Amino acid sequence: MHEPQIIDAPLLEAIGITKSFTQDGMASQALKGVSLSVAQGEFVSIVGRSGSGKSTFVSVLSTLLMPDAGQVNYNGKDLVRATEAEINAIRHGDFAVIFQFHYLLPYLTALENTLLPFMRSLKPVTRAQKTRAMECLARVGLADKAHRLPGQLSGGEQQRVAIARALVKEARVLFADEPTGSLDSATGATVMELLGQINTEGLAVVMVTHNEEYARLAHRLVRMEDGLVV
Amino acid sequence: MNILTIALRNARKKWVRTLLLLLVFSLGVVSIVALSFVSRVVGDGLEKKLVSYGANILVSPKSEKLTVSYGGFALGDMLFDVSYLDEADTVKRIEGIELRKNVSVIAPKLVVMDHVQGAAVAIVGVRFEQEKLLKGFWMVEQGTFPGETPEQAAARQAMAAPMHDAPAHAPAPKDADPKDAKPTAAVHVPAGADALLAGSAAAEKLGLKLGSVVPLDRHKFVVTGILAPTGSEDDNVLLADMDALQRASGHPGKVNFVEVAALCSGCPIDDIVNQISAALPGVEIKTLRGIVEQRMVSVHFVKKLILSVSLVILLTGCSMVGISMLSAVNERKKEIGILRSLGFSRRAVFSIFCAEAAAVGLLAGFVGYLAGYFVSFRILAVLEIEGAGSLPFEPLHLAATALVLAILTSLASLFPAWKAAGIEPSEALVTL
Repeated sequence: MHEPQIIDAPLLEAIGITKSFTQDGMASQALKGVSLSVAQGEFVSIVGRSGSGKSTFVSVLSTLLMPDAGQVNYNGKDLVRATEAEINAIRHGDFAVIFQFHYLLPYLTALENTLLPFMRSLKPVTRAQKTRAMECLARVGLADKAHRLPGQLSGGEQQRVAIARALVKEARVLFADEPTGSLDSATGATVMELLGQINTEGLAVVMVTHNEEYARLAHRLVRMEDGLVV
Repeated sequence: MNILTIALRNARKKWVRTLLLLLVFSLGVVSIVALSFVSRVVGDGLEKKLVSYGANILVSPKSEKLTVSYGGFALGDMLFDVSYLDEADTVKRIEGIELRKNVSVIAPKLVVMDHVQGAAVAIVGVRFEQEKLLKGFWMVEQGTFPGETPEQAAARQAMAAPMHDAPAHAPAPKDADPKDAKPTAAVHVPAGADALLAGSAAAEKLGLKLGSVVPLDRHKFVVTGILAPTGSEDDNVLLADMDALQRASGHPGKVNFVEVAALCSGCPIDDIVNQISAALPGVEIKTLRGIVEQRMVSVHFVKKLILSVSLVILLTGCSMVGISMLSAVNERKKEIGILRSLGFSRRAVFSIFCAEAAAVGLLAGFVGYLAGYFVSFRILAVLEIEGAGSLPFEPLHLAATALVLAILTSLASLFPAWKAAGIEPSEALVTL
């Protein structure tokens, strides 16, 4: 296991999160009062069977989904009650998310996809930001493929571009929802190695996975079942 | 690289869709621009033709008259006195009206009665430069216009408009093929005398020939030219230079009336009349309604036609943009989710879709305007009216067209863009 410096004070804390969905007229409660705290530099794995609520939970933690009740405290602020502008600022600066599917923009090159967080306005991307993006691509081993479109890259390479895009912002928390789910085992291992390296540099990682082997690489393993942490 | 890169790259990636939208809008703009140019040329040509029929506004002093009739026998109008207008002042005031640019010719007239070989005849004083503009159908059958050299006369006749440009009421002049025109010998006008142009009927009736002398009081006029028949009142009068007639008749600087030819495709004739009335209080102003109304009907018809076609084309194009963008929003839900997860605000997502539509509009505006400009030349050639007017290229219109198209396509994409901005990352990305 990697040896990051973990600071005990919670960086991100979820308290009593509940979330319900209605499908075909049937209400189901995905989260039934889940609590979790993540310290700065900590690597937390969330495992559980399909439908246990782990993806819903990480979506709530990463502000992509609002809970019905509960609190998500980050840096002393309850994100559930934050304004949209505050949420946008946190999504842009502090949180980074990677998904099972890379979700790259197919018409932008690997470099441009990596620079995407800096393309939110009419302000042009700076030379420093480009240099940073190239460094991130180099870090995931794709410096030589920076000008290729996603369609010209393999699945593993595309996922690595997504990781580079997450890294470029210098976020404090990385949420990874099944990052190896669509990759073969060799590529999956490479991606996990990358996440481990990133974590050693002080970035907190919250990862959802089915893979117990990968889950055990984390500092802490949280198991979910039926919308609860068990 | 900035937010526009996302919009433009997507437009490039979906080039078939972009090209289709571009094509529809460009075709729309081509139609509108070409129709507009062609109608302008046709309108200008119409104006020119109508102007060649004469003035459409008559400015004269108010006169007191009495219509005398008794027992069903009309004796005509009795004029109490003859009033004159001050030529310089009247012309200056007409030239000073706000709609001056719509006034093409100001032609003052002084009418003096004379007796030649026992017959009464009117000598009309005119400014020949203005008069020739007003009456493009005038042709000199013999001799020259007063003040014109034989060479100038020959050149003018060579450049004279073909017969189909002459007014319908003007009969073809006998032996008057302008292409065959040759310089005629100049008639010598002795010192102290002035030149005179005779109407065809007047010349025949009075037995006037080139060089004939027409006395007016103690002054002498020499016939230097005879007009070809025009079918108008000009056939029955003698025409002299205004200054000469004013001197000879003892009315220096005075005129009886002023004819004004107004171009009215861009303004109602009533406005010009009102402005002239305001500039010349106490003066009688009459409009030749028939001509004016005919002009207005023609111009309005073309304008309405263009407006209708333009609206249909633009509505079709806008619907296409709207539908296309709406389907793009559904296709690009995941992209939108990613952008939102990276901290893009709703406004940023909204502007990506608007910018994409605006880019199509901007390009269609440029391409369509340029194509429309060149297509209009082709249409004019097919209609055989290239010479009816000029088609100046106006870069400002090009920019305005592109801008208007960009605004229109942006407006058409408002609803899809608003829908896109409303997409939450959870509904696009989260697998629950």
